[in-house]
Amino acid sequence: MSWKGKGLLGLAAIGVLLSCSTIDCPVNSLVETKYEFYSSTGETLTLLDTLTVVTSRQDGIDTVFNKGSNISSFSLPISYSHPEDVFVFRFKGDGWQTADTVWIKKEDYPHFESVDCNPLFYHDLTAVKCTHNLLDSIVIKNPSVTNDNKVVHLYIYPKTGD
Amino acid sequence: MSSAASAQMKFFTIQKDSIPLFRGFAVSFDLVGAGMLALSDYGQYEAALRVNLHDEWFPIVEAGVGKATHDDEVTQLYYSTSAPYFKVGIDKNMLKDKHGPNRLYVGLRYGFTSYKIDLSRPDFPDPVWLWNTGFGVKDASCKYHWAEVVVGVDAKIFGPLHLGWSVRYKQRLAHSEEGEFGNPWYVPGFGTYNTNLGATFNVIIDI
Repeated sequence: MSWKGKGLLGLAAIGVLLSCSTIDCPVNSLVETKYEFYSSTGETLTLLDTLTVVTSRQDGIDTVFNKGSNISSFSLPISYSHPEDVFVFRFKGDGWQTADTVWIKKEDYPHFESVDCNPLFYHDLTAVKCTHNLLDSIVIKNPSVTNDNKVVHLYIYPKTGD
Repeated sequence: MSSAASAQMKFFTIQKDSIPLFRGFAVSFDLVGAGMLALSDYGQYEAALRVNLHDEWFPIVEAGVGKATHDDEVTQLYYSTSAPYFKVGIDKNMLKDKHGPNRLYVGLRYGFTSYKIDLSRPDFPDPVWLWNTGFGVKDASCKYHWAEVVVGVDAKIFGPLHLGWSVRYKQRLAHSEEGEFGNPWYVPGFGTYNTNLGATFNVIIDI
């Protein structure tokens, strides 16, 4: 083959090369906060009562976690761009119920993978506080909230004896 | 001296003959990048200045302007950047007949660009809370360093005119993004972020 022929072959190969493209969007596009129950001695707890979590959104109250029982951890959504999310944790046991309000302050920043992928927001948790009917405290364990759903972000410590 | 060391020395040694060391300059223009820019959402104008040392070693400087403007119909994301970039490196002519009209190159490049990204999307509702949310960054400063391994050919057409093509494997060395917004989609000179292969088709003129 002549050098000019090889040149044309090369040009065709370049065309094939440039026509190939891939879309690499993350498999998990859900960004949530993960909570885990702990005792005051640092051991994982299983909540034997029923937990429902609600929040106030634009069109009224909405349930974001419904009737979880026998759970040691759970995940809640996190708002895209509000500086603070407010949740009401409703606990219901055999013949009793109570509720605690949880406030989570955070910083939000856009996360971009590719023009082919839907936009995400990542977050840095900056502060958390709660009322103390059943809960003793909630502490931030890992402040960075991304689409990594294995990370536990917040430890929940119920009151001793509850 | 071992045979491996001897072969290594031979690779880096300039052949001894009556041809002088300095053989002139060549300028070249890449048609693939310009074609991509004309036909798609991204591409680059790139030119190069190459020094010919004994038809065997070719130190080269490549410079260009890379641009991308993409408005995605599905995700509604708008991405825009435009910036110069620079590459320096060297090619070696691997043919036995070094002084013939054609060349087969292998080479290395180091590339660098400093660029800014605009990224935006029309407001969209938070899926849980339903409040409208904006998404984007404006003039986010980024820097990108990369290396390229180049294989190419160059054929003399007539007079000082050559045509040639090259295929390049690119590897990111380091990068930084202001605000850590994620991955750049298109990097001027490097191409799209998730692609390691590139190619050029060059018009080369000896001067």
